[in-house]
Amino acid sequence: MTQPDPIVRLARFARALRERGMRVTVNDELDGMLALELVDTTDRSEVHLALRTALKIQRRDWETFDELFGHFWAGEEFASSAREPPKHRIPGASAPLRKLLHGSEETLSDRKSVAGGAEGSLPGYSPEVLLRRKPFDECAASDLSAMEKLLHRLVPKLAARHSRRLVPTRGRGVVDLRRSFRRAIGTSGEFLTLARRARALEEPRLVLICDTSGSMEAHTRFLLAFVLALKRVARRTEIFAFNTALTRLTPWLSSEKIAATLERLAANVPDWSGGTRIGESLSEFVAGYQAQLLNAKTTVVIFSDGLDRGDTALLSSAMRAIQSRARKVIWLNPLLGDPRYRPTARGMEAALPYLDHLAPAHNLESLEKLIPLLAA
Amino acid sequence: MRPEIRSVQDAMERHGYIAEPAIATAVFLAQEMRKPLLIEGDAGVGKTEVAKVLARLMGTELIRLQCYEGLDVNTSLYEWNYPRQMLRVRIAEQEGRDPSQIEEMIFGRSYLLERPLLRAITRREGPPVLLVDEVDRSDQGFEAFLLEVLSDFQVTIPELGTIRAEHVPYVVLTSNRSREIGDALRRRCLYLFIEHPSLEKEVRILRSRVPGVSGQLADEVGRFMQALRGRRLLKSPGVAESIDWVDALIRLRQEHLDVEAVQQTLGCILKDQNDIRNLTADELSSLVQDSRPADLPTP
Repeated sequence: MTQPDPIVRLARFARALRERGMRVTVNDELDGMLALELVDTTDRSEVHLALRTALKIQRRDWETFDELFGHFWAGEEFASSAREPPKHRIPGASAPLRKLLHGSEETLSDRKSVAGGAEGSLPGYSPEVLLRRKPFDECAASDLSAMEKLLHRLVPKLAARHSRRLVPTRGRGVVDLRRSFRRAIGTSGEFLTLARRARALEEPRLVLICDTSGSMEAHTRFLLAFVLALKRVARRTEIFAFNTALTRLTPWLSSEKIAATLERLAANVPDWSGGTRIGESLSEFVAGYQAQLLNAKTTVVIFSDGLDRGDTALLSSAMRAIQSRARKVIWLNPLLGDPRYRPTARGMEAALPYLDHLAPAHNLESLEKLIPLLAA
Repeated sequence: MRPEIRSVQDAMERHGYIAEPAIATAVFLAQEMRKPLLIEGDAGVGKTEVAKVLARLMGTELIRLQCYEGLDVNTSLYEWNYPRQMLRVRIAEQEGRDPSQIEEMIFGRSYLLERPLLRAITRREGPPVLLVDEVDRSDQGFEAFLLEVLSDFQVTIPELGTIRAEHVPYVVLTSNRSREIGDALRRRCLYLFIEHPSLEKEVRILRSRVPGVSGQLADEVGRFMQALRGRRLLKSPGVAESIDWVDALIRLRQEHLDVEAVQQTLGCILKDQNDIRNLTADELSSLVQDSRPADLPTP
C-alpha cells in the first residue's frame, strides 16, 4: 500500500462498495481495520482475503469486490462519487415510469365521474367494490392510495401457517413442563393448572418475480403496490424484477410511500418497460438465488403475461428447477382477466406444466383471491 | 504470507484439513479478533470440518449445536431436570419444609441440565469451540436469540440469575444458504465462503483422507469430479462425496475408473434422481475417458 492513511482509504473503499449495493456498515469497517492490523499489509492477496472476510462480502458480490479492490490496492480514486449514478443505473429509464406514476388526467376525471355516478344510483354498491373490480389498465395514479388502504386490510390474512416452533398458549397444546412446574411451586408441588405450548403462526415466505416489460406496463404499478403491501406482513418477502435481465429489488424496497419507492426502482432497474426475456431472467434467478431463497416453505409468484421473445427451452428448465425447490409456484397473468384468453403464448405454454396455480391479476379482486393461496 | 497464518495453515494440514490461504486467513482472524466465523458454501465442501479441526488443533472440546426448525431455548440453552425436582419437592414436603425453602433447593445448579450453548459458556477448562451447525435451518426467532448470546456471552436464567462466560468460546457457524442469514447475525461474525476445491487441492485431500488410495485413482477421481461439477446439476457433489466415492472404489478393488464401475457407484456422488437420469451413457463414458491421465498431459 502506497498511500499514508489506510483509514481514509478503507472508508473510501467501503463507500464504493456500498454504492455498488453491498451492505458494508461502519462496524464492518472497524473489523476491516482490525484485520489489517493483523495481516501483512504488503501482501496483496493477504489483504484481499482479510478484507473479504472482515467486511463479510458474500459470494455473489465477489466479482465487484475484486474489481474495486484493484483500485483500492493501487491507491486510485474510485470512479464513482456521490453525484454520479451507480453503474447499473440507466439515465432516462424512469421516463415511462414517471408517466405511469402520475397517470393521465383523463383517466383520473373518468374515474371520478364513474365513481360519483355509481354512488348516486346504486346505493350499497360502494366505491370500494368498484375499486376492487376496476381493471388495472383503467386505474389512475389517484386510485393507488385508495388501493393501498384496502390492501392494508386484506394482507394480514396472510399469516396463517403454523410453524414447528412452540409458543405459550392459553388454549390447547402440549404441556409445557417448565412453566407448569413453576406454577406448581406456589401450591406445594400440586399441579392445579398445566401450562401449554402450541405451534406458532408463521409468516409466509414469498419470492415475487415481476415482469416490468412494455406489455405489462399498465399492470406493473399496481402489482408492485400489492407486493409492497405483502412485504409489510411477510417481511421475508424477496422481490425481483425482470424484463431482459433480472434485478433483485429487495434492497431498494422500504416501507415508505409506494410512489417514492417506485420512483427509486425505475431509476435502478435497467430497461424498465423494455422487452422481455423470461427464460433468461428466470435462469438467472435459478443460478444466482435459488439456493438461498427457495426451500420447502417458499411460495414463488411470477407476475407476467408470458409474452416471451427468448428461448422457451431455457424457460422450461428454469421453471422445473424452481418447482423442484419451492413449496408452490403461482403464475399471475393479467391477461387471464379476459374470459376469451387461452394460455397459448409460447412462454406461457412452456411454463404451464410446472405451475401449481395459474391465476388472473387484472384487478384488486383477483389479487384478493390470491391471498389464501399464498398463505396455505 | 504472515508466518502466523502459515502456521495456522500448517497446523490445520497436520490435523488432516488441507486449507487454502482464504480459509487459513479467516481462521487466523477469527482466533485473533475473537469473533464468530460464519462459513457458507455448498454442501460437502468441508464447512463443519473447519470447526472440528479447530478444536483438534487447539486441543479443546468441540461443542456442537445442530440447528433445525423449531429449535428453542429448552433444547439449545438449558432445561430443568423435572423428575428430579419433583421427587425433591415430595421429600421436602415430608420433611415439613416451607415452600420458599423448597424453591431455593430445587432451582440450584445441580437440577439444571446444560444444553450446548450453556455448556459452551460455562466450560471451566478454557474456551471450547462452539459449532452452530446449519444455522440457516433454525427460525428467525432463534437467530435473534443466538445473536444475543453471541454478543454478550452471558445468559439469564430467571431462577438463577445471570451466568457469564468463564471463557469466551471460539464460535463457528455454518450455513448451507437454504435461506439468507439475517443481516444482524452476519455482521456480528467474520465471513468465509468455501468454494469447491481446485483439482490439485482435491487430489491432496483425497490422498490425506483415504489412506489406501493410489495417486493414480485419486487423480482420476479428482478430474472426474471437477468435470462433473462443471455440468448443470441440481445437487453438485462436494469433496465429502469424492471421499466416499474413493472409499467405495477401493472396497470394490478398482485401481482405475471405468464406465462400469462408475455406473455401479454413481449413487455415491449423484444424489438426485434427475441428475442421474440426465447423465447419458455417452456423456458418462466421455467423462471417464477425459479423467484418464493418458489422454491429458499430467499437470
